[in-house]
Order: sequence, then C-alpha cells, then structure tokens
Amino acid sequence: MRRTRRTRRSELGAALALAGVLIGVAVAVVLLEGSAGPSPAESRLPPSPRSALAPRNVPLGPKPLAFWAPVRESVSTRVNPTQPQTAGNVSRRTPEGTTNIVLVLGHSRRVAGSLWVEVRFAGVPDDARGWVPRSALGGYTPVRTRLVVDRERLTATLQRGRRLVFRTRVGVGTESTPTPAGDFYVRNQLTRYRSPFYGPIAFGTTARSTALSDWPAGGFVGIHGTNRPDLIPGRVSHGCIRMANPDIVRLARLMPIGTMLTVR
Amino acid sequence: MESKLTLEAVDHDGAIAEALDELTGGTRADFLRKAVIGGAATGAALATPALAKERNTKKDIAILRFDLNLEYLQAAMYTEAERLRQLKPRTLGWAHVVGANERGHVKAIRGLLGRDAVKSPKFNFRGVTEDDSVFTETAVAFEDLTAALLKTQAAQVDSRGVLAALVSLHSVEARHAAWIRHIAGIVPAAYAVDKPTSKARVVRLVDSTNFVTSVPRTKGRRRPGYTG
Repeated sequence: MRRTRRTRRSELGAALALAGVLIGVAVAVVLLEGSAGPSPAESRLPPSPRSALAPRNVPLGPKPLAFWAPVRESVSTRVNPTQPQTAGNVSRRTPEGTTNIVLVLGHSRRVAGSLWVEVRFAGVPDDARGWVPRSALGGYTPVRTRLVVDRERLTATLQRGRRLVFRTRVGVGTESTPTPAGDFYVRNQLTRYRSPFYGPIAFGTTARSTALSDWPAGGFVGIHGTNRPDLIPGRVSHGCIRMANPDIVRLARLMPIGTMLTVR
Repeated sequence: MESKLTLEAVDHDGAIAEALDELTGGTRADFLRKAVIGGAATGAALATPALAKERNTKKDIAILRFDLNLEYLQAAMYTEAERLRQLKPRTLGWAHVVGANERGHVKAIRGLLGRDAVKSPKFNFRGVTEDDSVFTETAVAFEDLTAALLKTQAAQVDSRGVLAALVSLHSVEARHAAWIRHIAGIVPAAYAVDKPTSKARVVRLVDSTNFVTSVPRTKGRRRPGYTG
C-alpha cells in the first residue's frame, strides 16, 4: 500500500515534470513563431488563389518627359484659365498641312465647369505656355525622347530616358541667321516631297527663326537631310538643322513626333 | 467653350449612365441582350480581322481579341491617370494597383493569342483621367461590365484552357469592381447573384464614350517650307 502510494506520487511528479517541459516547449515555439513568422491573425488567412493564366503585374514604366496632344480645334490660349487675357493662338493645322500638336504639361484646372490644361506651343523666340480647354485637344501620347543640338560642338544627340541612342554632326544657322536657342519640340515629319535641298526626310519643329520673321511658311526651323553633305558640320543654314541623308534616315527610325528639342 | 465635364459629357448616348443605373437599381433595358460573339456588328474600336490560329478555335480567338481590346482600353485609361496624377489619393491608389493588373492582363492575353493578337487602338480620354468623379464613375461602369461580359464568354468558349483564363481574369475584374464601387460609395455586392452581359452592349458602351480615336495625321508629303 505504502509502496503503491509512493509509486503514485512518483508517477504524478513525473507527469507534472513532463507537463512542465511540454508547456515550456510550447511557450518557446510560440515565442519563436511570434518573433520570426506571420502574426496569428495573418496565419489564419488563406493564401490568394493563383491564376491559371499566371499573368504578372506590369508596373508603371519610367516617367515620361511630357505628353503631346493633337489640336482638334483652333483656340486662343489663356495666360490663366480664370482670366480672358490670351497667351497666343494655337491653330489646328501646321503650315505644312499636318495636324498641329501641343505639349501637355500635366496641370489641369476646372474653371466654371470646364476643364483647362496647361500646354506648350510654338512661340517666339521660345516655346510659349498657356491654358487651353481640354475639349480642344485629342488623346495624350507620352514623350520619352529629347534631341539636344549643341551649336558650339555642331552635334545632335538623341536621348531616350538617360540613354543616348543617336549622335551625329550637324550644320546649323549662320551668324546672321542663327538657329534659335531654347526649348522646343518636333511636331511633324515630311517625306516623299520633291526637293533634294531638304534630303529624303524633314522634321518640323516649333523653333522659329528670329532673323527670318517674314519667311513664307512662318520661319519655322526644320531638321532635315541635305544635298550638300560636304558643308556638314558647319554654320551654313538659315536656321535649320541639317545632317547627312543616312543620318536623317536613321534618326527618323528613332525619333517619334512630340520629341522635345533643346538647342543650346 | 467646353461644357462641364460630367459623365454626360463623355457618355454621349447614356450607356455608362444606364450601366450605373443598373448598378444602383435603375433601369435594366438591354442588360440581357443576346450575346453576339463572333458576329460582325462590333464597333470600329473592337473590330478584329478573322484570322484563325491552329490551337485556338475561331470563336475563342474572337473572344480573346475582344477582351484584349477591352484590356487595352482599361490599361491605357488607368496608366494615363497614374501618370497625370490629377486624381484624389484614394482613387490614384486604386488606379496604381489596378493599372498594374490590367497591363498584366494585356500581356497575358497577347501571350495567349500570339500572332493573332491585335494592336492597341489610339485613345482620347477627354479629360476623364484628369477628373476624379468622372474617372470613378467611368471605372465603375467599365469594371462591372467587364466582369459581367467575362461571365457570358465563359459559357461560350470552346477550349478549357481559354475558359480557365477567362475565369482567372473574371475574379480579378470582380475585385476591381468591388473596390472602385466602394470608393464611389456604391455597395460593392448589392445582389446575391450577378448577371452576365452581352458583347454588343459592351461595344455600345465603349462606342458611346468616344474614347477610341483616329491616329492624328502628323506626317505629310508637302514640300517643306522650313527656313532651310
């Protein structure tokens, strides 16, 4: 009987000891999981179902430099959308007969129920800024390229984001008819015309000669080929940016409409 | 010059408004119009050439092309909103997440179609991406209708693989719909059962927005008049 009691006591002690060890292990596991794994609330949630298509999210690409939009109707731009003072006129067509475009700067304001957006458009001597009704413009296209023309080094360099994708030597304006410096953009492309003087392709820009203000088509500066490659590089033009014909063909493959143009 | 940019301004024949009426318990005319999968009566935006592919049937290709055009539209609208950053932070957050999903859908459907994929049309969102309330209303209509359309298409495809793909897209579109409805203050799940909608109705809605536009003529053949 005594022996049985002793045995029972020892069994009870062993059971308590085992229980203590188990509780200790459980506490340790809980603490470890709590410090390294998901919270109990999170672990109760089932994982999201996987798609049979297995498509992946496609993140937003690099931020564009700006947007361009076609002009759907000729309008007077405003210095401020709340005031009638005009900043200049924007026509629907370019002098070359193509659809005119403006650069959209990404600011919009609602005034008296109408949405107005801030744009850059052809001006003198630099591009002008103003506000136009959103309804006067078409759809937006992101601009990712910039052509930099260096009048000192006589080079043209095309950048896409931070990447340099094209570089060549160019001819620019003479001292009396200089290529205007400033920020502009490319607004059209002409091909298959009959004029060897301009080479096979000519781009129209919003840059405007300050020396040739009475030029028939408005004195806009172009970027084009030439029938006198022997004059390139040099200061030989009436303001236009000339390059060898193979170079303008190569540039046309890389430079979309709306490309920003910096002349320095 | 421009009238107030309300839903009416972009919803010329009231199709979006009608869709919203349905969401909020309004009229239901046309909601159960018979689907015209493979029919010729698609709008210019969603018209696709009938090129068959060996591993997909003609019907499946037509369905996937239709969905690809819808995904192009949604992805372009949300991407533009993300870039312009003119929406309220809550809506912009939605556009950021959903835009990444929709761009993923475009990529996935293009992958399914392979050489049968069509190019994206050109869009003019007419200020919708720059106006929070109009953007939200339009997004509710598009997301709800996309989810409803996928239900219709799921019953019509030939291939089990395409069916699996559509079901995968459907649940995500339904999540988008619920989320943007919540943002818009509309009950995310108002009814016990969702009803499908027809392709013809989606075409009519897309056409009514005039979001699909022509490519501007920026190239010409006239002799240059530049200073030279």
